[in-house]
Amino acid sequence: MQKIEAVIQPSKLDAVKDALLEAGIEGMTILEARGHGRQKGHTEFYRGREYTVDLLPKIKIEMVVRDEMADQAIQAIVSSARTGKIGDGKIFISKIDDAIRIRNDERGPSAL
Amino acid sequence: MVANPLPLGRLRSRYEDDFTQLRQNFERTGDGSATIRRRSQIVGALLCELWSQLVPGSAQNEIAVVATGGFGRRELFPCSDVDVLFLCANEKVEPAYGDSIRACTQAMWDIGLRASPATRTLRECERVHPDNLEFTVSLLDRRFLAGSRALYAKFETDLLPVVILREWDTIVQNLAEMARARHAKYGNTIFHVEPNVKECPGGLRDYHLAQWLTLLNSMREEKAWPRAAADDFYGTHDEPESAYDFLSAVRCFLHYRAGRDDNTLDWHAQDEAAARSIGLETRGTSDPAYWMRTWYRQARTVYRRASLLIDAVPPPRRSFYKQFRRKRTPVPGTDFFLEDGRLDLAEGARVHDGDSILQIFGLMAKHGYRLSHSTEDRIADALPVLAVQMPEGPFLWNCLREVLLGPWAAHALRTMHALGILELLIPEFHGIDALVIRDTWHRYTVDEHTFHVIDNVHRLRQPQHDWEKRLAGLLPELDRPDLFFLSLLMHDTGKARRNGSHASASVELSESLFARLELDADEREVVRRVIHNHLEMSAAMRRDIFDTETVRAFAEKVATPSQLKMLTLMTYADIGAVSPEALTPWKAESLWQLYMSASNFLDRSVDEIRYHAAADPAFFSRITALIPALPAAPSAASGRPPAASAVHTEELRSFLEGLPQRYLNTRSPEQIASQFRLAQALRDQPIQVAFRPLRQLNEITLVTPDRPGLFADVAGVLSAWGMNIVKADAFSNAAGIIVDTFQFTDTYQTLELNVSEVERFLQNIRDALTHKVSVDHLMRSRNHKPARPRVAVDTRLEFDNDASSHSTLLQIVTQDTPGLLREIALSFTAARCNITVALIDTEGEAAIDVFYLTKGGLKLDDAAQSSLSASLVHRLAQLRS
Repeated sequence: MQKIEAVIQPSKLDAVKDALLEAGIEGMTILEARGHGRQKGHTEFYRGREYTVDLLPKIKIEMVVRDEMADQAIQAIVSSARTGKIGDGKIFISKIDDAIRIRNDERGPSAL
Repeated sequence: MVANPLPLGRLRSRYEDDFTQLRQNFERTGDGSATIRRRSQIVGALLCELWSQLVPGSAQNEIAVVATGGFGRRELFPCSDVDVLFLCANEKVEPAYGDSIRACTQAMWDIGLRASPATRTLRECERVHPDNLEFTVSLLDRRFLAGSRALYAKFETDLLPVVILREWDTIVQNLAEMARARHAKYGNTIFHVEPNVKECPGGLRDYHLAQWLTLLNSMREEKAWPRAAADDFYGTHDEPESAYDFLSAVRCFLHYRAGRDDNTLDWHAQDEAAARSIGLETRGTSDPAYWMRTWYRQARTVYRRASLLIDAVPPPRRSFYKQFRRKRTPVPGTDFFLEDGRLDLAEGARVHDGDSILQIFGLMAKHGYRLSHSTEDRIADALPVLAVQMPEGPFLWNCLREVLLGPWAAHALRTMHALGILELLIPEFHGIDALVIRDTWHRYTVDEHTFHVIDNVHRLRQPQHDWEKRLAGLLPELDRPDLFFLSLLMHDTGKARRNGSHASASVELSESLFARLELDADEREVVRRVIHNHLEMSAAMRRDIFDTETVRAFAEKVATPSQLKMLTLMTYADIGAVSPEALTPWKAESLWQLYMSASNFLDRSVDEIRYHAAADPAFFSRITALIPALPAAPSAASGRPPAASAVHTEELRSFLEGLPQRYLNTRSPEQIASQFRLAQALRDQPIQVAFRPLRQLNEITLVTPDRPGLFADVAGVLSAWGMNIVKADAFSNAAGIIVDTFQFTDTYQTLELNVSEVERFLQNIRDALTHKVSVDHLMRSRNHKPARPRVAVDTRLEFDNDASSHSTLLQIVTQDTPGLLREIALSFTAARCNITVALIDTEGEAAIDVFYLTKGGLKLDDAAQSSLSASLVHRLAQLRS
């Protein structure tokens, strides 16, 4: 099993969700997040005051998938979240040792 | 001391048969009250048999089995726990009967009952633990089942009343506190889309609370249990009786449906309940929306009763202030009295006057007062009379404004709605009464959502978080907060029409209200636009808010800074009213970011987008229709005058050509037509000035050919007359005609109190502009020593040569001071800069002015900017010293 964490632009959430569903990935967790990469935030002047947004609003999607689904999921995210501009986001992959369904103590990939 | 082995198999079988038959009866009759009484009977009989098997009769002197809680009330719902108290005479008895108690409890579980046993001695029952008040409260509903009657009688007659009367304050205060906490957890509203039958406001818990408080109040009076038998006491349901029957039926239905103690009325359950007409008098198939409205009506009855009883709970400590509040004070001009924060109608007074009723709601909105129970009843009874007495026109609008602008507006509106007054005034609101919109986001019905929206805006007066503080700054900047709140009240009325865009439907529904309130054309347009666009900001937030294209598209829809502020506050309040979790700090920050970007866009793009008549023929026609035909000179060729319509169409086109789009966005067609007439009159009088008193401000419009120093001179005359300029804009068209508008407060009420001074004021302006009088001389004759500011504002100048393709944008933020605008304009004149657009605004003690400047028809280069900057800083510093 692999955990996929994707930080994307908020405006791309609907497209990414739809792409993942189409790829057969149904379970995911969505988090509101803030962050920046190399672009280091945004500054706006308003009525003589400077408002600096150091940490830009982002969306983080997390999901755990079977090994054989990982590539499909990654491809779905990349193709739907990409705009080509700085700030598109990143995807992180890590291995998962086990998964447990709380309701009935089911374990392993079938608990996904 | 277990006497005989228990016939569990037989008892279980008998219970299952009884339970099945009970369910079948309910399915057939839908009678929840009968079902729960019957189950209590069945379980009671079963327990008695169990106990008699476990403990022989002769050994029962020192222990009694008592039903408590719902079981004690004879209200045992299909899957509810069975609350039983094993009451022991003293500490020695408890261990002696330990095995029997354990066996009895175990048998209950084996039979299929969810036992909730408690074992106490008499002495233990004398103590009240604030942390375990539920146990004491459960004893209010006690009932003898088996064991020692003598022991039970001692408990009920001698011990319990003494304990309750001794701890009366603690019990009542804690009951009220727990109820308030529960209500707050559910948003203090009954209008949940998926309510909990037991716990939600207006649910069964509130019904029982009302019973307990009534019982406790009665005990306090009589110093003993009420004389009525327990059954009779709980039987005096009167008005809430049908509500109780309905709620009982619903809870039975939910228990049977889920097979467990599940009390949530989700959508699927609502559909099924409606299909089976659960709780309704006529059986058949009901529409879910109609069925839910029945739910809300019943819940409203129960909630009202519980709330009034909670409010009547005496405060924990008698303070001087609270004694003061208890004093009965007449409300001037009405038949009402105010006592302890509650408005009471005088004895014998009739409710027949719509005007004074509306005044009362204004007081409620301003101070948060409540109506007394009897007053609510009397108003509700008088509705048919009030229906023909309700005012219309400006008086109605004034009353409605008082309610909408009060900090407790939502509270007053909810009361008006509950009593039917709101729908008398605004029949358009009827369509969203208890209307459920089924989606995964909205927690409340549409009407309740509307009240939450209004509440959310008023709560910004006391912001808690940083993001609230920023948004709170927009509230005092609203030009017409009354119109804004009216927009909030009407914005979702269109949801009553299930098809199409609800925003457009809400606008349509509002038109009849505008007519009844006799709002003028400008006022209607403000409300229309806010309602029509109220979803645009949320839609824009789903795109990349840092993309200039997203900002541009959104800003163009909004069109003016005034509308933008209203939409921002509305979007904030609307999201927050969907559910308490909907507006996260993340979302609030995105909202603020979009607001800033759009605001800057609106200010910085003024010079770019100019009007060209060919681009918008519909709008052009609308204005031409307002211009009366004018005589024109005969044609040289034909000797006949050209058609009047052709003449003024060309003149109008020429007047509008080249004016910034912002000019057209911020003026109604009627205002544009009026200013065009001023431009036409330039032939006879080269300086045209028009005066217009507004609600809290005054406005003058100047139309004249442009020349250097014009803006400074007008600003100077206004300052010389003691006027405080709060807003101004200056535009010029392609023909070099300027249209400058100044909005100002009349600090000394000169024009308001002395009508004859208006003409002298206007003549002063004309004379100043034609140099017949010196502006400097006018200003010297006034004492303009600036008062010490409460908040110091540093001067900031910001030049931007990219905002416009042909002008330099200059934003000045500085301390607002009398004569400021003139000094700034004189700096421009001295530097030979021409103002092509001016946008003046004041925010508290800060003046925030944006100018589009050219020098010699071009943008200002670095040297010109530097020189102008130094001049401005010097002048502004001198002005303040």
